[in-house]
Amino acid sequence: MTYEILKPETLQDAFGLLDTDDPMVRPFSGGTALMLMMKSGIFSPSRLVVLRDIPGLNGIRLEEDGSLWIGALTTLAELEKSDLVAQHAPVVTHALRHLSNRRVRNVARIGGALAHGDPHMDLPPLLSALNAEVIVEGSNQGRRISVQDLVTGYYETSLESNELIVAVRIPSQQSWQSAYRKFTARSADDWPALGVAVSLNASRNEIQDLRLVVGAATERPTRLEQSEGILRQEGRSGLERATEAAMASVEFMDDAHGSSQWKKALLRVELRRAVQEILDRNT
Amino acid sequence: MTTTEVGRSLPRLEARQKVTGHGNYTHNIKLPGMVHAKVFRSTVPHGRILSIDTSDAIALPGVTAVITGQDILKIIPEPYYGPAFHDQPILALDKVRYVGEPVAVVLAEDPRVAAEAAELIFADYEELPAVYDETEAMTSKAIVHDELKPAGTFPDLKHLIGRKDTNIALDFHLKRGDADAAFASAEHVYEHSFQTQQTMHTPFEPLISLAEPGDGRVTIYSASQSPSFARSEVARLLGWPENRVQVKVGHLGGGFGAKLYIKLEALVAALALLVRRPVRLSLSMEEQFYTITKHASTFHIKSAVDKDGRITARKCEVIWNGGAYADIGPRVTQKSGFTATGPYDIESADIDSYALYTNRPPAGALRGFGIPQLVWAYESHTDLIARDLGIDPVEFRRRNILRDGRPHVTGTIMKDAAIDAVLETLAKRMDWDAPFDHGSGTLKRGRGIAIGFKACVSPTTSVASVSVSADGSATLYLSTVDMGQGSDTAMSQIVAEVLAIRTEDVRVINPDTDITPYDMATLGSRSTFHMGNAVRKAAEHAREQLLEMAEKVGLPKKNTLNVPEIFRHAYGMQAGTVIGVGTYIPTYASPDKDGLSDNVTPFWMIGGTGVEVEVDTETGQIKLLKMVNAADMGNPLNPRIVETQLSGAAIMQLGFTVSEEMILDGGQVTNASLADYKIPGIRDIPPHIENHIVEAYTHDGPFGAKGVGESATFGVSPAVAEAIHDACGVRLTKLPMTAEVLYKALHGEQE
Ligand SMILES: Cc1cc2nc3c(=O)[nH]c(=O)nc-3n(C[C@H](O)[C@H](O)[C@H](O)COP(=O)(O)OP(=O)(O)OC[C@H]3O[C@@H](n4cnc5c(N)ncnc54)[C@H](O)[C@@H]3O)c2cc1C
Repeated sequence: MTYEILKPETLQDAFGLLDTDDPMVRPFSGGTALMLMMKSGIFSPSRLVVLRDIPGLNGIRLEEDGSLWIGALTTLAELEKSDLVAQHAPVVTHALRHLSNRRVRNVARIGGALAHGDPHMDLPPLLSALNAEVIVEGSNQGRRISVQDLVTGYYETSLESNELIVAVRIPSQQSWQSAYRKFTARSADDWPALGVAVSLNASRNEIQDLRLVVGAATERPTRLEQSEGILRQEGRSGLERATEAAMASVEFMDDAHGSSQWKKALLRVELRRAVQEILDRNT
Repeated sequence: MTTTEVGRSLPRLEARQKVTGHGNYTHNIKLPGMVHAKVFRSTVPHGRILSIDTSDAIALPGVTAVITGQDILKIIPEPYYGPAFHDQPILALDKVRYVGEPVAVVLAEDPRVAAEAAELIFADYEELPAVYDETEAMTSKAIVHDELKPAGTFPDLKHLIGRKDTNIALDFHLKRGDADAAFASAEHVYEHSFQTQQTMHTPFEPLISLAEPGDGRVTIYSASQSPSFARSEVARLLGWPENRVQVKVGHLGGGFGAKLYIKLEALVAALALLVRRPVRLSLSMEEQFYTITKHASTFHIKSAVDKDGRITARKCEVIWNGGAYADIGPRVTQKSGFTATGPYDIESADIDSYALYTNRPPAGALRGFGIPQLVWAYESHTDLIARDLGIDPVEFRRRNILRDGRPHVTGTIMKDAAIDAVLETLAKRMDWDAPFDHGSGTLKRGRGIAIGFKACVSPTTSVASVSVSADGSATLYLSTVDMGQGSDTAMSQIVAEVLAIRTEDVRVINPDTDITPYDMATLGSRSTFHMGNAVRKAAEHAREQLLEMAEKVGLPKKNTLNVPEIFRHAYGMQAGTVIGVGTYIPTYASPDKDGLSDNVTPFWMIGGTGVEVEVDTETGQIKLLKMVNAADMGNPLNPRIVETQLSGAAIMQLGFTVSEEMILDGGQVTNASLADYKIPGIRDIPPHIENHIVEAYTHDGPFGAKGVGESATFGVSPAVAEAIHDACGVRLTKLPMTAEVLYKALHGEQE
């Protein structure tokens, strides 16, 4: 059970250390998820590659095109307190206040939060609704992956073992408004039983465009395309039909947070409330 | 009586030490040459051990020894322990009886090596049928223990010796009046059943014990709530005199009943004596779920009510799920069982209370000692009756409440029990008579009040000694364990009051059985009353001696002592010591064959809670908007500490009410970690909490004080159930009342 902890100082060195078929070699950012898995015995590492000493992975800045660039090692607490984030993506600021507790937020980092692949998380569905993408570098060519395409299944992502998320880019949210509703089943600081993220490009009751994403209750954050279609066509009056369609279009998980049947009911309620919340802001 | 130190809300004496990281916790102890232990646990709920293969584990570099139950026999031929029954082996011998039961232990220089080696042990079992549910266990063919083994020291358990083919470890019965006749002629008869779930204490300092072998002796350092019991029980197991076993206890990071009697102490002592090296065993948070828990229970309750809304008779059948080993469960069954009819004035009663063995992790004492399970049922039942009769629930309680001077169903006349005052305080603080807004649309509001009471386990003994130094400072020696409840501070206040010094000038010596005198244990809210009395007597004994000294040396016999002056006159300089000793045991009368006694408890604890909730009928989510706790606190020695006991107890019970539950699958706890077993976090605490101390002088208590640590647990669960009912018309009869449970009750199982 002995394992090595390595602290590369450049991305290139990190890629080299990660470039192996051994699934027990992992990058380590905040370690909050990895440590839990190690404690429960699900994961016993052979090598942990600590990213903390690699320069260039920190900070939050506003790019010329109005997008936010967020370094992968930015802690969730830094994100929560950032004025830039509060100004350009206030829904993120708000969601973070309800993400676990301060001790976790002080340590967990955005790269880890997106690469983890556990469905019971808040940022993957939320950033997906914001149309965010991750900037990925690796031994080979760098690439960009939309957050929506990043998580491919239960604890599965489209990242290669020798690839790292170096930053997250949230595009300009101008003319978009968002809401995120989190439902916890066991305690207020629990992981979500259900998360619903809604982004609307709407004026008054006209919905020009929208993105609806459900997380936690499903195996991976899932876009509710059918419901989006209904709302795009029918506006607010299609809300009831849209929530019905959402319930029918995804597969819910039974787990320690609750039964699939209940989560289905929760989705209807929380999706309706999230959309209404935004539309009500405009009236 | 006017007091200066008693009644002072001074901060806890050890608070600064703790928050600056200097707390004297057992976890910080390092002994020279110490090895670390890791427990290998059973993976089957019930089985005969066929073989244990330890060869790979012992071959791992860094491993000192691997010990099984057979090795323990070399030094302890009868390695069964327990406070009520001698049924629990130090390590499993022939059988395992629950998933998680200790089967073997690895000792290694490094705790991680010990942990890795423990994974290399393989045990082979012949699986036996298992039983988990308390009601099924009453009649099940799966028998957890072949034979009952009550501890011989208790005369009231003797009749159980040698009983076979039963899972009923103990049955307690109380019979008063003619309940059958009352039911036959009753205007109304009501019958309901209620259940509670298995939960865990979750002290933030997990269990830890160390043992150091000596020359014909052993020293145990332990996070224990009962050092005196641990000493005598380990001595009994080893066949040694008590004075060769020393148990030392530092500060505890919470106990709540998890650290009582023997937990790891006998195991570490045996290990240390086997390998002749100091041994440290520290459990993880996860392992605590396999060590001690709170009883799940089923309670069938039936009441006869006359045309005026008076309860004339009550029948109670309570079935306690004690898990695989009795621990203190049989005492919960009796000593809490006899209060199952509630704080009401009821002419006739039948109580049947059963302690059951099942193949679950053992259950013992947890803050309330069974009372919250009982109150949950009898107060829910009370509300349902009031509803059916169309009587306001507070008014219905008023009509039936048990007042001072009236007999409890045991026959004991109620005394210093402010039951009515607690109820009235709640009604007033909840503004009960004002119109209440029940909400609208999908957000419904409701409110509820519930009260409960508890007797104190009896008869038990406390001994204390106070030594007064020539400069007037005092040192208090006692085996009460301060696990965060503030007992060191309260006891010092008593000493200071008697000796007319400042509380800050009293130093408390943490329990060390070589030095501090006997105390039964820190449990069941008994310390303030029992140890408080012993401490008061010890301080008074010292004071008498000082007064005598003063008289002898010709100092004026004044009420205000000038201690340094007395010593100076007596010894010509700052020299000498005065030692006061105090022992307290209350009077008590054992219940007769019908469970009746005219002196069943030294004092009563009374507590209640009122809540206002908001229910989201679309999701089932329950939000507590307001919580009002009130309890009879006697004369509070330190009001500020007492108040935090109220809020702490209520919040703990809130977790057991709406979220906490140990979930089992085939005997395996599937949520044995804080990631999946959720206790209330800061945002689960109601935005509005009030704690009201109902002052009611306890005549036999030290300065009128009584125990306060559990009282606010009593009313929480039924008050929440009633508030939910009031909000949305649904009655839940099983804990915990989660959002999903309520959703299903509102909307049915299927879409
Ligand atoms: C008690 C608790 C409660 C929590 N509650 C919530 C909650 O309610 N909602 C929520 O959203 N989150 C919650 N979290 C946080 C979340 O689940 C993860 O633990 C956290 O986001 C992971 O971040 P980290 O930096 O600690 O990742 P790590 O543990 O370091 O890593 C997580 C995974 O990502 C990989 N990884 C890390 N960084 C990178 C990178 N830059 N590129 C590629 N791969 C990488 C690692 O190899 C690992 O597989 C909670 C955590 C805890 C401990």
